[in-house]
Amino acid sequence: MFLGFASWLHKTPISVAFQHQVAWLWPTCETLHFAGLALLLGVAGMFDLRLLGFMKRVPISVVKDFMPWALVGFSLNLLTGVIFVVSEPAQYFGNPTWWLKVTFLIIAGLNAFIFETAYGRRAAALPAGEDTPTALKIIAGVSLISWAGVLWAGRMLPFLGAGVGAGL
Amino acid sequence: MEQFLLQLQESNFGVWVSSAPTLLAYPTILMLHTVGLAMIVGPAWVLDVRLLGYGARLPVEALRGAFRIMWIGFFINASTGIALFISEADDKGMKWIFWVKLASIALALIVTSRLRRAVFGGGIAADVATPRARSLAKASLLLWFAAITAGRLMAYVK
Repeated sequence: MFLGFASWLHKTPISVAFQHQVAWLWPTCETLHFAGLALLLGVAGMFDLRLLGFMKRVPISVVKDFMPWALVGFSLNLLTGVIFVVSEPAQYFGNPTWWLKVTFLIIAGLNAFIFETAYGRRAAALPAGEDTPTALKIIAGVSLISWAGVLWAGRMLPFLGAGVGAGL
Repeated sequence: MEQFLLQLQESNFGVWVSSAPTLLAYPTILMLHTVGLAMIVGPAWVLDVRLLGYGARLPVEALRGAFRIMWIGFFINASTGIALFISEADDKGMKWIFWVKLASIALALIVTSRLRRAVFGGGIAADVATPRARSLAKASLLLWFAAITAGRLMAYVK
């Protein structure tokens, strides 16, 4: 099903336009994808470490002030990631490792959503210096592991599972 | 020189890194190089944007620990970088873009150590960055981006 969609997408004008610009578009997007990764993981990693009990004297809400930068990194990577997928859809849809990356992304997203909706207020109200509740530490651990999973699967894409959808 | 690079690339270790039929060789080393990148550039950029005035409620002193993460990242990337270099010494060692990458990293490291001394060298770090610290933060932002860019372009530049 996805490979049919991939071959349709590959013939759309926008995909074809990307394919024609591949010589400069890919290196540019790849560079931005790595920069976005550093920005996102730098900020999200700092927030997770705070939830795990580092920098305890700083209120959680203060560390959260940096989240817009994580969002900048994430948006950069979503945009450049979509450009990769639109220009070579089969290379991604046909690769199980890409689906694993998407799964880790969904876990990271759900985890952040659970934090915001169920624990956001409790975390913001936590007095500085106090130990964080176990639930928040679990959320931080899940976040770190799932982002590491996104990175691992993303970097392994060309080596693990590639070629399954090749030839489309 | 050429001869030496070729010897490196064709050494047992070089050949193992580049062509051992296991994900633990080239793919994992490359992946760890990206982990190290995130551990160096992530904390560096957080500190840089803080010094430039964003998230001003965060005491700069709280970011002192960032350097420990950066050191671990640097250790990972120096080790994996040397392994990757050996495996492609003859193909990549003489590319001009590789020297741009190394020069960017060297300058970024000098800037980082000066920034550390300027901001954290005299007791508790001040919460408003001096003009010098701000300039160093801007240089750090740009130089790490340059290192990432040159690193990525090594796959493209002939």
